[in-house]
Amino acid sequence: MLRNRLIFGLIYSSGSFMQSRNFRLQRVGDVNWLEKNYKFQKISFSLDELVVLDATKGEKNIEKFSQVVSRLVEDVFIPIAAGGGIRKIGDAELLFNSGADKVILNSPLYDDPKLAEEVVNRYGSQSLVASVDYKVINDVPIVHIHDGVTPVKKSLEEYLAYLESLGVGEIIFNSIDKDGTGFGYDLENIKKYAKSVSVPFIVMGGAGNKFHLSSGLSIDGVSAVATANLFNFIGDGLPIARSHMLEHNANLARWD
Amino acid sequence: MKLVIVDYGMGNLRSVTSAIRYLGYEQVEISNDPLVLSCADKLILPGVGNYARAMSRINELNLTDIIRSLVLADRKPILGICLGMQLMGKSSTEGGFNEGLCLVDGLVEAFEVKDLKVPHVGYNQVTPCQNSRLYSEVGGEPDYYFTHSFRMTSQTDIGNTTCFYGERFIAGFEVENIAGVQFHPELSQTNGLKLLKNFIELF
Repeated sequence: MLRNRLIFGLIYSSGSFMQSRNFRLQRVGDVNWLEKNYKFQKISFSLDELVVLDATKGEKNIEKFSQVVSRLVEDVFIPIAAGGGIRKIGDAELLFNSGADKVILNSPLYDDPKLAEEVVNRYGSQSLVASVDYKVINDVPIVHIHDGVTPVKKSLEEYLAYLESLGVGEIIFNSIDKDGTGFGYDLENIKKYAKSVSVPFIVMGGAGNKFHLSSGLSIDGVSAVATANLFNFIGDGLPIARSHMLEHNANLARWD
Repeated sequence: MKLVIVDYGMGNLRSVTSAIRYLGYEQVEISNDPLVLSCADKLILPGVGNYARAMSRINELNLTDIIRSLVLADRKPILGICLGMQLMGKSSTEGGFNEGLCLVDGLVEAFEVKDLKVPHVGYNQVTPCQNSRLYSEVGGEPDYYFTHSFRMTSQTDIGNTTCFYGERFIAGFEVENIAGVQFHPELSQTNGLKLLKNFIELF
């Protein structure tokens, strides 16, 4: 049976890892802090995938970011998706060569769809993850690009269909309103859109504890739940969350 | 033990290499030099991406006949991973019809099932073939990480390990010195590390 996935996200900005809340970033620590408090070589055995995003505002340094990625992937045997700041095929190539198994695109999907096409032609659909950030304005979820700043004119439904037409392999559905709150996922909109696409649907934004992760996975059409909450899952938080989910019959992979 | 990872310019060679090193095998080389390939004890053929592009890269590097002769005549053990496994079959329809390396009797085509999310992404359980060497000491129906839109089927018994995703397809095969897996052992935690070790030790 195809399993659902538990994904951990890391938000990186100018040399540090961040806690994001409604897309405002708070510095938590550098890669040494992360290794000390999260011990990925050990914790990765509680995860199904790692997502690393460069959320540096303004100019991003993809070389430096790719060095961070290559340090994170050492002795970690799960898929790594990396993105943020990919503007040309060479940037994607750099991340792949640094150990990323997939790359994540957000704004270029709208601004420069040719780049998505290039990634798909070269590395295949399964190597491209589309990240979609939305916020609810007057009860309507609106996609925002450029770090959540610029609203997109297409409706969310149209935008998701558009991403599929570009050939993306997976979609990360991220609520800006719930981001970093720890209040739980935006279940209402997840229910509405998870089944509207034919590619795997990853939900992100809001999970603060193991119950939230379980509730996200319980929605039909959701393939994976992601959290980037560095504070709430510190130490043994992720292993504990995974065992809790497995005990409650979550459909997650089992390791010996 | 000298392992050579065949490099034809496609795929994440880094994670395969680091998984093998992690298991304690220090002699791993990444190469497309026919001489290096022929001196290897074992070959690993990884790959991510488009089949048509991969075959044309392999042909440009004049590797098709070399790999065929090393594997079929010299019986050098080989493990294909993901696209690398697909390349070992007879042909694929990805990017138009293309002949493969023809090491096993397998055809690669797109998933045919409706109402299915494609690509098939995530950990899925496999049913190992009888008396499998690859899955030795990996119990039950273990989970492995898949990510692909095309899958292999075969009319022949090629030691098929299968997986179910809307339909049954070949998740792996093992005949004598030839082995392949559709999934990524290097991204499949302890289950994958054991499989790599089994290939290195038992083939």
